[in-house]
Amino acid sequence: MMENVIEIRNLTKSYGKARGIIDVSLQVKKGDIFGFLGPNGAGKSTTIRSMLGFLRPNAGTVTILGLDSRKDHEKILAKVGYMPSEAWFYDTMRVSDVIKYAADIRRMDCSEEAGILCERLKMDTRKKIKELSLGNRKKVSIVCAMQHKPDIFIFDEPTSGLDPLMQRTFFELIREYTDHGATCLLSTHVLSEVNRYCKTAAIMREGRLTMLDSPAIDEDAFIRFYEDEEETV
Amino acid sequence: MKSVLLRELKQNLKLLIIWTLAIGGMGFYCILLYQSMQGEVQEMADMFSNMGAFSDAFGMSTLSIATLPGFFATEVGTIHGLGSGMFAALASIGILSKEEDRHSGEFLLALPISRSKVVTAKALCILVMLVVFTVVCGLFYVGGIAYLDMDFPAGDLMTYLVMQFLMNVEIAGICFLISAFSSRIKMGLGLGMALMLYAFDLIGRVVPDLKDYLFIGPYSYANASEIFSQSETPVLALSLAAVLIIASITGAYVCYNRRDLQS
Repeated sequence: MMENVIEIRNLTKSYGKARGIIDVSLQVKKGDIFGFLGPNGAGKSTTIRSMLGFLRPNAGTVTILGLDSRKDHEKILAKVGYMPSEAWFYDTMRVSDVIKYAADIRRMDCSEEAGILCERLKMDTRKKIKELSLGNRKKVSIVCAMQHKPDIFIFDEPTSGLDPLMQRTFFELIREYTDHGATCLLSTHVLSEVNRYCKTAAIMREGRLTMLDSPAIDEDAFIRFYEDEEETV
Repeated sequence: MKSVLLRELKQNLKLLIIWTLAIGGMGFYCILLYQSMQGEVQEMADMFSNMGAFSDAFGMSTLSIATLPGFFATEVGTIHGLGSGMFAALASIGILSKEEDRHSGEFLLALPISRSKVVTAKALCILVMLVVFTVVCGLFYVGGIAYLDMDFPAGDLMTYLVMQFLMNVEIAGICFLISAFSSRIKMGLGLGMALMLYAFDLIGRVVPDLKDYLFIGPYSYANASEIFSQSETPVLALSLAAVLIIASITGAYVCYNRRDLQS
């Protein structure tokens, strides 16, 4: 039986009176590409941000690679590659400096892998961050998340802003890393990405998580989730 | 942690250079002015020392601006006191909150570095900047005094710079705590606070009822006129400063570690 590399139990996070996530539990197995679907504001990012320690949950536990997300926060982050939905860095830094800065904090020499990734993503590393479009900033984010060859990838809406060619390259890269034993949690709005690339999936609605029997869900059923959410808002 | 410290120092280098050259340069120029004013300054000193509360506020009742130490304490003391306080506030008020304000927090804190280490690196950056600022400004002043080739109490100058440094650390500490609480850069609040603390000290020296409460503000123990007229060491003010510095930095650690990070 494959081991769970991510285990979330009864995770709850509220923002005062506003709903965040309620009693979320999920397991992601090693080597999986886990699709994390849901409308805007459903709680996907809150779940991810709670996993990574940006938010302090009100209740519940998160275990990643057998480590407790609170006690072993730094150890977990050393093994995780995270790409936030908005790719922001330090405006005045050059792309190459941002990539090296991330590697330096990891105390790793990732120059070889970073070079390969930059070439495949067709990045101009001499440019300053403030000169980049959203798509190009996303590419920097991909390199920063992948250059240290982590055990787990956590991507929050990774393909928004990327052109179709880069989207394909991005998923090729994920496949290559997961073939070598990495695991990927992919939060997205794009049903076709989940259908095509994910092995398991879950959908969030109004802060609650429902596991799907199969990632190959019908588009009409998927849209109904969004319509129901719109009606309840 | 070293990478974050170096990055912060690099990012703040321009701020440090501009403020150090501006304050140090102005102080240097002010010292050189003494030479050209020396002949006429005696009459001015007599006038300034007899202006009651105004003379008290600027220390001109205890020191004569006709002497170089008196001139330094009243003129350079005002420039350095106000300028260094504003610099300390500017350097620290946004140092933690800028990560959220400019949305780089998720990038930084998704890397394997604890929030405590981020706070430590940023606190060290402020400390290094304040040390460099004080040393370079001090060198400007020593250069100006050496150029005039006149007697000057070196011990008092050293005490003054140390007290100013401590005052800067206190203001920076309070602003650092505000920065840890906030997810927005509160530049106006930082500058306003430095100016208000300066004004509090100034008003406290004019209004008799406020004199007993001067020790609350950091400018009380860093007052150039009192240091150059060898007044008693303000133990109460220094003790309160030490408590405030420790409480602010501890508070910054606790708050930054516990609160939710805005995206």
